[in-house]
Amino acid sequence: MSEKISVKVCLGTTCFVMGSANLQELIETVPAKYGDKVEVSGVPCLGLCSIDWEFSKAPYVKVDDEVIKEATVEKVLKAIDEKLAAK
Amino acid sequence: MFIDIDCNQMKKYNQNAYGDYFVSKRYPDEARLIAVLSDGLGSGIKANILSCMTATMLLQFIENQQIPIRKAAEIIMNSLPVCKVRRISYSTFSAIDVNDDGYAKIVEEGNPQFLWIRDNEIMEPQFETIQSKTFKNRKLKIYRIQLKLGDRLIFCSDGITQAGLGGGRLKLGLRREGLIVLAKDKLAENPDISSSEFSQYLVNQARNIETDRKPKDDISACVLYFREPREALIFTGPPYHQQKDREYAEMFANFKGKKAIAGGTTANLISRELNRPITMDTTISIGKLPACSYMEGVDLVTEGILTLTKTLEYLENGTQDIDNAAGKLVKFLLDSDCINFMVGAKLNQAHYDPALPIEIEIRKNIIKKISNVLQDKYFKKVTIQYM
Repeated sequence: MSEKISVKVCLGTTCFVMGSANLQELIETVPAKYGDKVEVSGVPCLGLCSIDWEFSKAPYVKVDDEVIKEATVEKVLKAIDEKLAAK
Repeated sequence: MFIDIDCNQMKKYNQNAYGDYFVSKRYPDEARLIAVLSDGLGSGIKANILSCMTATMLLQFIENQQIPIRKAAEIIMNSLPVCKVRRISYSTFSAIDVNDDGYAKIVEEGNPQFLWIRDNEIMEPQFETIQSKTFKNRKLKIYRIQLKLGDRLIFCSDGITQAGLGGGRLKLGLRREGLIVLAKDKLAENPDISSSEFSQYLVNQARNIETDRKPKDDISACVLYFREPREALIFTGPPYHQQKDREYAEMFANFKGKKAIAGGTTANLISRELNRPITMDTTISIGKLPACSYMEGVDLVTEGILTLTKTLEYLENGTQDIDNAAGKLVKFLLDSDCINFMVGAKLNQAHYDPALPIEIEIRKNIIKKISNVLQDKYFKKVTIQYM
């Protein structure tokens, strides 16, 4: 098995008010489902809203290098599944 | 030297307004502080109005610098009316005008004599007396003293010195002697106690002496403590000119004192420029605010606007000990004396998208409001640098 998949939840102001607070459950569900193959953490800011603001796609989550716009728990889990399947 | 000042008060039992009034103002440009404690005749609303008028007028007289503290106090002493029924003055007062070098001018009229404590011993300063030309029973005491690092001054209303009067144990009340014992014992036990905690302690002790712990008069204790300032720096918001990031990051790194960062982009900037990694708290949010993160050499790292907005709310309401990022920032601020803000002027357009579920304030405005409340309510020294 290669490196862990990293999931980074943006906790910057925009993402937080647009719903990243609701991604809290990833902290518990991901380790329960995938064990130590995936690592979830918050990050102070991914810096995406300030360059992508006209499209207003916050909250943002990064799964490895892939940016997930308007992230939800389902979208993040789906992206993790796809990454794992590709490995 | 930094002057740590605070006043705590308790109302007379069964009253709904404070009869003593305390007011204090710092003048950072002149490195000066003026404070006045006044005790109004009687209790409740009437006393509140009398003491409030006396204290605020005296402060304004002195701050305008048109007249020195001695003259201002003399004018007030000679003009305060006498209560027709009880034939006593409408109010009494103590006032201090002190600079950061520790030179202090103090006037007292009718209030208990202040305590000056150095190395846990009581100092007995010289004073000059001015007899009122209009009222036989009024005289002003004027002191000019030079304070040193570590000195403390305690001003109080007679609610403290007369606490317990007529009760079982202390027939004559606590008196000055009793207050000295209380103060010295507490300082021996906790030599670095803050003015806030110390004044609260004295007020509580006075209340505990009263029969059934019901104050028979308004109780006030104002404490000044001369010590080395505790410096703090808060960096919030990215600078307007990105090419200056490095310069500002180095300023932040070189600051001697406690440091905090409020803002995700700001934290990334410092992390990148100083090459210090960021780690997050193990949770995402605590109490509707993003969790804190951690960086070596920085005491606190939080999200920006939401946390600052909540911090302002807590400071205004006097809310403390909350377990979230804003609660931590409140503690960080209140544990400091001189607070410096470095405020980046760059705006993030995304914050002003009308689709956002809540309105996001402009950073500059929140910092201004936080600065005002820190100065006016918590007597801190605040400087703001915009970048």
